[in-house]
Amino acid sequence: MNAHDAHRLNILLYLDNELRGQELEYLLAHLDNCPDCRRLLEEERALSNLFHRTRPLYTAPEPLRARIAAAAGPAAALGNKPERKPERLLRFGWQSARRSGFRWVALAAMIIVVVLGLTLLPTVVRHAEAATFIDTAVTTHHSYQENQLPLEIRSSSPEAVTAWFAGKVPFQFRLPSSQSLPGGHPAYALTGARLIKFKNENAALVTYQMKAETISLLVASDKFAVAAGGDEIRSGKLTFHYNIRAELNVITWSTHGITYALVSSIHGSAQHSCLVCHQSMADQSVFK
Amino acid sequence: MFQKPNTSHAADIVGIEHIDGLYSYALVLTRNRSEAEDLAQETYVRAIGAMERLRPESNVKSWLFTILRNIWFNQLRQRRTAPQIVEMDVEGINVGIGIKTSDDDPYALYVSTLERNQVREDIEQLPADFREIILLREYEELSYQEIAVILNCPPGTVMSRLARARAKLRALLSSTWQTAVQGGRESSNECSRCASSQHSALSRQ
Repeated sequence: MNAHDAHRLNILLYLDNELRGQELEYLLAHLDNCPDCRRLLEEERALSNLFHRTRPLYTAPEPLRARIAAAAGPAAALGNKPERKPERLLRFGWQSARRSGFRWVALAAMIIVVVLGLTLLPTVVRHAEAATFIDTAVTTHHSYQENQLPLEIRSSSPEAVTAWFAGKVPFQFRLPSSQSLPGGHPAYALTGARLIKFKNENAALVTYQMKAETISLLVASDKFAVAAGGDEIRSGKLTFHYNIRAELNVITWSTHGITYALVSSIHGSAQHSCLVCHQSMADQSVFK
Repeated sequence: MFQKPNTSHAADIVGIEHIDGLYSYALVLTRNRSEAEDLAQETYVRAIGAMERLRPESNVKSWLFTILRNIWFNQLRQRRTAPQIVEMDVEGINVGIGIKTSDDDPYALYVSTLERNQVREDIEQLPADFREIILLREYEELSYQEIAVILNCPPGTVMSRLARARAKLRALLSSTWQTAVQGGRESSNECSRCASSQHSALSRQ
């Protein structure tokens, strides 16, 4: 084992986002000064990209899917169908009411609860999922600002960052070019990006700088991330959801199978927040 | 996306979205398509029966993988034999297995198919413990902690075994895949076998 082999394990942990604290700092410092280990990192990253490109390793054949569906059918008919959490809760509530002797009152209450629950449950679940995505975006923003989430690519080129994410995230997206203000100065500057985990899936963290303000953009598949709640702003077919968390402004939206959360400390109304970046763009009128 | 003859039932099955991963894991363990299908099906049957005992905060995905592994090793014990290494006909397994791609370009699909088949072949040459840890980490993206629970071993063992498995697989791949596993030259990410196959295919046209 040579000196570089000793770092290989930590390089793997780093690629898997499993390296933390001092070990992470030590490795990053070492990588800055060791071209051999940087080459090792790129080799391991290339191997990981190969795995990404060849997913899934095998695809379940259609007959197997049909067999599993058929096997689940009789179980459901026999009353053995797995109960989802709300169903369990409802059943528990009904049994409790019987034990307490208030059958009719409980039955009426249960009917109301069931009707309200069935009506409101999807909305409640959706808002809870949206809150989770917002919380993750805010936590990630703080961690990045506190240098706990170092960028894995530093570039001001949207094309370079877009290319870096290819094959690393379970969705395809393209970063737009930075828009310029009158006078030729960019409205904001891309600084870099890195991968983070959201619900066990890779998500993209993209960072920008606008004067002294740090702006982060969390991007995840809409299979796992939901945009809902808050003050809503409609722009064409898009709906932006404006929230304030931990003194940060968070704007979320979903489009083309991807959900975004833009986090910044830029103050103002929802419209004002959007206009900060869009003030010189062709679509500025939709935010006024 | 797949079409199911009994869509209403299939859509209700908890964890059905992990069927490709479970089937892949079953295939990696059994190296036999028929056994893998039975194993994946049995996993869902057991899971449906055990849903009542699943805690709300449980990780359904790693729970399903744990069930599958336990069923497989129980079957091995019942046979009272050491794990039988059934020679797998890789071409036979690949027949009829859909290749998912986001690109409709026929050339990209062709290259993608060759690339995936080559990776499968090389993974199949790994020892069983390396095959399963590559599948769990690199294809299913389970965390080290989740894999440690599935394999019933310390997380440190997961880390070291994964590193050895990757090194072994890299050595296998590098013989035919010089560019894809070498950093800094990934833009030409075609293996030599793929390249020669493409050349042959194009020459025939």
